Amino acid sequence: MKTEIVSSTKDRKGIGLDPRTKILLLLMIAVFVLGGAGGSALVWARVLLACVPVGLLFASGRVRTCVIFVSVFVAGCFLQYFLLNKLNGFLNFIVLASAGMLTQFLPGLVMGYYAVSTTTVSEFVAAMERMHVPDQVTIPLSVMFRFFPTVGEEAGNIRDAMSMRGIFFSGKHPGKTLEYCLIPLMTCSVKIGEELSAAALTRGLGAPVKRTNICKIGFGVWDISFFVICAAILAYWIVTMEGNVQI
Amino acid sequence: MSMEKNGSMKLQGRDLMNIGIYAAIYFVIVFAIAMMGYIPVMMPLLCVFVPVIGGIPFMLFLTKVKKFGMIWIMSIIMGIMMLLTGMAHYALIVGLFTGLIAEFVYKSGNYKSQSKAVLTSGIFSMWVWGNFLPLFIDRQNYWSSRQSFGEEYITTLNSLMPSWLCPILLIVAFASGIAGGLLGKALLKKHFRKAGIA
Repeated sequence: MKTEIVSSTKDRKGIGLDPRTKILLLLMIAVFVLGGAGGSALVWARVLLACVPVGLLFASGRVRTCVIFVSVFVAGCFLQYFLLNKLNGFLNFIVLASAGMLTQFLPGLVMGYYAVSTTTVSEFVAAMERMHVPDQVTIPLSVMFRFFPTVGEEAGNIRDAMSMRGIFFSGKHPGKTLEYCLIPLMTCSVKIGEELSAAALTRGLGAPVKRTNICKIGFGVWDISFFVICAAILAYWIVTMEGNVQI
Repeated sequence: MSMEKNGSMKLQGRDLMNIGIYAAIYFVIVFAIAMMGYIPVMMPLLCVFVPVIGGIPFMLFLTKVKKFGMIWIMSIIMGIMMLLTGMAHYALIVGLFTGLIAEFVYKSGNYKSQSKAVLTSGIFSMWVWGNFLPLFIDRQNYWSSRQSFGEEYITTLNSLMPSWLCPILLIVAFASGIAGGLLGKALLKKHFRKAGIA
């Protein structure tokens, strides 16, 4: 599990996008690539959006992740286009379903990875404040993103410990998995969470004053160009809808 | 852990952080279960598995809920996460209502009634149903974007999800949420109270 998710140190290599732009791109990819809005008329937009995380990862110096993503994605596309209707029965079903899922989910996952690994908690909070999102949503969300890697790490540790006792996450005994993997996972996550919240409260989170922030966020050339691309896709989507009820 | 008594009923930083922590645990578990939807037979059954297993962290979460709004925010956050993971906005809309109803139900038990907690778990779980809505509302459009899954996946899933299943799934989600609540309650008693976190 990558622990750099929602890093607290500043890492502004390459294109330093505003967190709001990242959220917009994440939403666009979620709606068009994962959700498949617009049907076949918007294939070009889907391809374009799937390319966005590649470029961003490359620009931020995460070349290795970028290469892995591109090769897996291309493999998925290859399987889809060359094996479609060539296999039959169960094998066809498995290959196509997994390739389809892969190509559909991967861009969103990678964009999500990019967004959380290049945004600091402060930047995220600053951006949410600028968008006038209430604290009641901002704080839980930022805690959540901070907490995902912890849960993943703990899950890995528990898996290791339990495999010594012959209990596996994907084992034949769902009851045992539930009791000996899920419960310890929850217990230690909650314990860590309590420590985390104690630490945050010590540093003044939840104090009855308005929070100030020294993060400089703002829109640059790249942000504006991404906004223009997204606006174009949305406009095209609305034009091609023509009475199809989609929302 | 003892909750310090403060007179204010407004949500404090600690409450908001608790929401975040439990939302993360809940979401990780839900997401892991949702991966089973790749197998078409499992798709309608997700309405059973997600609330039942999710009931365990949710019941644990309810032990921390002492103020108005926490369940509702949790529900909204689940909706936002579904939006970000490409499940469309239906879960958010459904969650806005079910979360609020769940909140009122738990409030009516003064945030400590155990039977109300189980009922709350049932109502809260209905947000899962929102994820199935696009399949029923606009079937053609739903599949037009998923042709790549292969014809067989589509026909299998279509035969598994006839339109009349829509209201039934809502009831199933509710009933499974109740079952999850009962399971969570039993596990709270058996494990979490011993570990000192409930």
